[in-house]
Amino acid sequence: MNKKILRRAEPYLWIAPSVILMAIFIVTPILKVFQMAGNKVSRTGQLRGFNNFENFATVLKNPTFGLVLKNTIVWTIAVVVLSTVLGFVLALILNNKFRGRKIARAIVVFPWATTLVIQASAWNFIINTDYGTLNTLLMKLGILSAPMNWTPTPEAYFAWEIACGIFVTVPFVTFCVLSGLQSIDTTYYEAATVDGANYWQKLFKITLPLVKSSLTVSTVLNIIYVFNSFPIIWTMTKGDPANHTDTLVTYLYKLAFYNGRQGEAAAVSVIGFIILLICASTYMIYTLRKGDDEL
Amino acid sequence: MNQTLKKPVSIQKVILRLLLYFVVLDVCIITLYPYFAMFTTALKSRVEIFSSNGTILPVTALWSNFIEIWSRAPMGRYMLNSFLIAGGSTIIAMLCGIPAAYALARMKFKGQTAFLGFVIVSQMFAPVVLLIGIYQVMQALGLTDSIVGLIFINAAFNQAFTIWLLRGTFMGISAEMEQAATIDGCNRLQSMLKVLLPVAAPGIVTTLIFIFINAWNEYTVALCLISTDTLKPLTVGINTFNGYNMIEWQYLFAASIFAVIPVVILFMCIEKNLVSGLASGGVKG
Repeated sequence: MNKKILRRAEPYLWIAPSVILMAIFIVTPILKVFQMAGNKVSRTGQLRGFNNFENFATVLKNPTFGLVLKNTIVWTIAVVVLSTVLGFVLALILNNKFRGRKIARAIVVFPWATTLVIQASAWNFIINTDYGTLNTLLMKLGILSAPMNWTPTPEAYFAWEIACGIFVTVPFVTFCVLSGLQSIDTTYYEAATVDGANYWQKLFKITLPLVKSSLTVSTVLNIIYVFNSFPIIWTMTKGDPANHTDTLVTYLYKLAFYNGRQGEAAAVSVIGFIILLICASTYMIYTLRKGDDEL
Repeated sequence: MNQTLKKPVSIQKVILRLLLYFVVLDVCIITLYPYFAMFTTALKSRVEIFSSNGTILPVTALWSNFIEIWSRAPMGRYMLNSFLIAGGSTIIAMLCGIPAAYALARMKFKGQTAFLGFVIVSQMFAPVVLLIGIYQVMQALGLTDSIVGLIFINAAFNQAFTIWLLRGTFMGISAEMEQAATIDGCNRLQSMLKVLLPVAAPGIVTTLIFIFINAWNEYTVALCLISTDTLKPLTVGINTFNGYNMIEWQYLFAASIFAVIPVVILFMCIEKNLVSGLASGGVKG
């Protein structure tokens, strides 16, 4: 009898450390954020009672929020879509057998392994108008005759931030797809070749369906990472000038830790949280259903 | 005999090959360009960097910049802190993640789907969105401005990835061997440690490295929680050279190189395992 109870309890003992760790450091902060979003919060973070969702009203009434939300959407979609396409193509290229493939692969890993802050600082330096190395290089090559201002408008700066985002995201997609490509049985291709299929037919009928799951995983993870990405924008522009390059996360950081408006920051967190939760649930339902099909 | 059987090389194939090399070369150059810019700038003097007549390579390589940074900022401390944070996070994430992934892959229990669902959903919440809440929790635990606090946060936020990757790895390995071991008198823990984990080594290494790199590269939480200079990790610490009105690019990049090199070397060592490890999540044995 005792043994039976032990057997039933066993799985829970195995997952207990993980559950406790996540409960303290993920679930509690989530609850805290929700609590703060519903309360009037003093500058020092003391709760001053429920205030009838006034924090949300203040945030949503502020025209800045619309701009920030638009930036966030542009940023996420641009970075994820372009990185996925580029990363997929790069994976197809690197999956060929050629001399120096090992070196090329090792090089492609670089941006992935580098901290975003450093990567962003480097690009910030490269595109600087007065002393950036991009201008120097192009002038030495004779392509430019005078230094070019690469960031004349906030939008241009934002575009560079997106470029930097793509630069660091491509390797992740590439390696996810590469891992999918390597698990494809080569006999499929041999059979298709015998049947007279051309390159594009093989790409769309064999490769794409078989790497679809790797591609889904990388896309969904990227949506999350990119949506939540803070260091690139923080390092390059801090969201300035006047919130023109802010995304949700930089905006809420400033609200909370610069302006001391923690209640509003919590409200922004909750809004971001809900957007992500919708994406997450969709993904979860999708993967779990797919998992059942495989079984 | 073999010579005559060899197919003639078509022009189309040659062109494709050349195109392949051209694209690969371009990709490599663009990828390496920021590192080239960083490295060359780290060797320049301040005057040379800001001069209107820019140079590509430094006129004279100032290797002393690489030495200077160690006295201008507590670089040694930053580096040690980064190692402690990344190492500590990795150990805790694995200690909690391996048993959880094992239970998910090998046992059936009530609430399994709910737990798995939570693991996937928890991936959504990058610490930055919850930063205000994290700050409050850390304050309550007395862990603001502490390396231990950062270790736990990093470990917790890497749980989803750890469990997901390891579960995939474990599920890709047949349970027969473990069952045989159980018949031979091993309990579950023994059969996992002695039979499953050695077979799952590539997947485990992949996961380890992922967490280590994530924690090493983490910036936002450290920026928010750590205020004491000597407790900062490299990612935050190097901003000492990024002052409000004057950026010491040569020092910033010299220090950055120290932050980048260990991770890149680590990545290169496991690059092969990394890809096969990622794949092993999807391949069933």
